[in-house]
Amino acid sequence: MASETDHSLGEAVAARVERRWATLSIIIVGLLVGMAAYIGIHQATMPQGRVETADPKTLHLSGEFIESNLGSEMQADGSVTVRAIGQQYSFTPQCIVVPAEMPITFRATSADVVHGFLIEGTNVNTMLVPGYVTDLPVRFKAAGDHVMPCQEFCGIGHQGMWGKVKVIDKAAFRDLAAAKRRLTCVD
Amino acid sequence: MSDQPLFSVRNPWFRTSVGITVVIAVLSAIAGLIWLPLAQPNLKLAGVWDAICSAAGVPRAALQEAAVKPDFKTSNVVMTSEMLTKVNQVSIGRGATLAQRCAICHGPQGVSDAHSPNLAGQFAAVTYKELNDFKTSARVNVVMSPFAAAMSDQDMKDVAAYYAYLPRVPSNNLDTRRPAPAVVVTGAPMRNIPPCGSCHGDIDNKAGSPWLGGQSAVYIKAQLEAFASGARRNDISQQMRNIARQMTPEEIDQVAHYYEAQP
Repeated sequence: MASETDHSLGEAVAARVERRWATLSIIIVGLLVGMAAYIGIHQATMPQGRVETADPKTLHLSGEFIESNLGSEMQADGSVTVRAIGQQYSFTPQCIVVPAEMPITFRATSADVVHGFLIEGTNVNTMLVPGYVTDLPVRFKAAGDHVMPCQEFCGIGHQGMWGKVKVIDKAAFRDLAAAKRRLTCVD
Repeated sequence: MSDQPLFSVRNPWFRTSVGITVVIAVLSAIAGLIWLPLAQPNLKLAGVWDAICSAAGVPRAALQEAAVKPDFKTSNVVMTSEMLTKVNQVSIGRGATLAQRCAICHGPQGVSDAHSPNLAGQFAAVTYKELNDFKTSARVNVVMSPFAAAMSDQDMKDVAAYYAYLPRVPSNNLDTRRPAPAVVVTGAPMRNIPPCGSCHGDIDNKAGSPWLGGQSAVYIKAQLEAFASGARRNDISQQMRNIARQMTPEEIDQVAHYYEAQP
């Protein structure tokens, strides 16, 4: 049977160990929250800040996703907005033209089922969900061509569904935008 | 130790651990719901409450900015997979009477050799959509447009129901042993062409896509060429133009003759 002194000694050791473990756990939790915040600010994961809805059945009747409004638009503040839709089994516009080194916002949605929106060679990778608008800020570093395959199985013709993204020089884009209000590179 | 209650504010361990957890939760909520949303200028938030609602995922309708209107008519049909799939005998009967004026080109049984579409057994939603598009001038044809202009919405639904009710009749060119071209079965994935069969019924059917078996090759070819050139634009959001533009003249020829030979 342990004496009174032994018991208080054991209690002190247990309390010390508990305190260290608690401190370590709190540091780990704090570090994880800090990491999430840092990634959020620097857009490594690009979480979408807003939930916007759009009826997939009536996209072609009115609103920003009507056929003639799709493509790249030069905004008054110097940024570019690109609107696109995914449908079984193509993207419209089939070829998207954007400038390099300028802030770009992709706004896209689906007209039928869930499609994937991925631009090869960049960190653009999200989903087009029917009923919701995907809104994504992007900046392309250099001119060049990228493929944009649907990366979410969307039906039996899924493998044939992809688009092109053509990144061109800033000045060349401005010239194109001066001549036409919505730009695409569909031939 | 044993006389001290575990879950009590008098227990310093309980007090400290719960206190720290609450502090982390509050700080995380402030960071995630207020600070991070406000740190994104492109969200254009109206204030703290807007930031909290946005971050919490409260849905709202997309802003209706001034859209560029088309300089041509587009289809205004709202296509769903349930559209006109319920059989209605009254509608079929009315349609049979109305369809007499269609017989000169489309045949008394919905089949003819006039290179106009064979309508017997066609999906009702397809016939209805095309009639409606002719009526609204989203699709234009010197023969069809005047007929559709005089039809009411119910007339178009009845005619569509009647033709959907008629049995499909194989064409004179029926040849089921004809091998299917690659573009029908597998498409051409490298050129953004899905298989024709993934929408037109051989493999799967997408709402609004016509059944092509037994259609005139001349007609199929003319429509594919019209989609490719942009002369025909009543396909919703370019779904058929995107594909026809990528097809070679040989492929168009192959699919036209293949579908003509199908039942």
